[in-house]
Amino acid sequence: MGAQTILVVEDEFLIRFMLADSLREIGYQVLEAADGDEGFEILMSGQVIDLIITDVRMPGAIDGMELTRRSKSLAPARPVIVCSADLFKSQSHPADEFLAKPYTIEALAGLIARLIGDPWQKSSQNHGA
Amino acid sequence: MAEELPEPRCLIVADADVLIRNALAEYLRHCGYKVFEAATSDEVVIALEEGALRIDALLADAELPGRYNAFELRIWVRDHYPDVDVVLAGNIDSAAKAAGHLCDEGPHLQRPYDPESVAAHVKRLLAATRRQRL
Repeated sequence: MGAQTILVVEDEFLIRFMLADSLREIGYQVLEAADGDEGFEILMSGQVIDLIITDVRMPGAIDGMELTRRSKSLAPARPVIVCSADLFKSQSHPADEFLAKPYTIEALAGLIARLIGDPWQKSSQNHGA
Repeated sequence: MAEELPEPRCLIVADADVLIRNALAEYLRHCGYKVFEAATSDEVVIALEEGALRIDALLADAELPGRYNAFELRIWVRDHYPDVDVVLAGNIDSAAKAAGHLCDEGPHLQRPYDPESVAAHVKRLLAATRRQRL
């Protein structure tokens, strides 16, 4: 049994790299997608994903909100964290957590640990996939 | 005095197909590299120009989209970053083979697994994605 796998969906290349690299340093397995379309392709490939972190506004047919809805339809219990600079928490959204940009990796790591546990400490939660 | 850690060896894997890109990058991480994953030639340019990490090599799909096509990108990299090796691959089998060669030159002494299994893994994922969409 490996570490939990996190799907990072972010179209800003350097943000995606730094975020993914930081999460790998913590010990998580990370899959990177450059937009919502790629994120959905990864979900459809059947790979086990324990949590999704997604930006909202991205190029392509699927934005972060639509990706969240599709993930919830495939696996209702799988947590999704939505990160955005311009989304208000009061706005209706299907994500489990909202993180306003800019955020620190410590804040994000704390949120992830609360949702799926620390690396190697697999959550007993069945994501319904 | 604290021992200075060696600079990480870095690669860029550039492919518009996310399943291929993810699998090749993960294989090369197991070989000990730090890996940037780029979906377009524009992202390759950003990774090189960002400059925080020295890039050793670029493994790119021959049909990479973006501001430069793959062949123009190879020329651009040769002109601006002559120390960066550029490997263009035409399909997943040749890309996996090239990744295996990079692994042989990499920071670790042993391959983590056979590069052919990377190609087989990608083909399984692509087939699963197609089945889901039917």
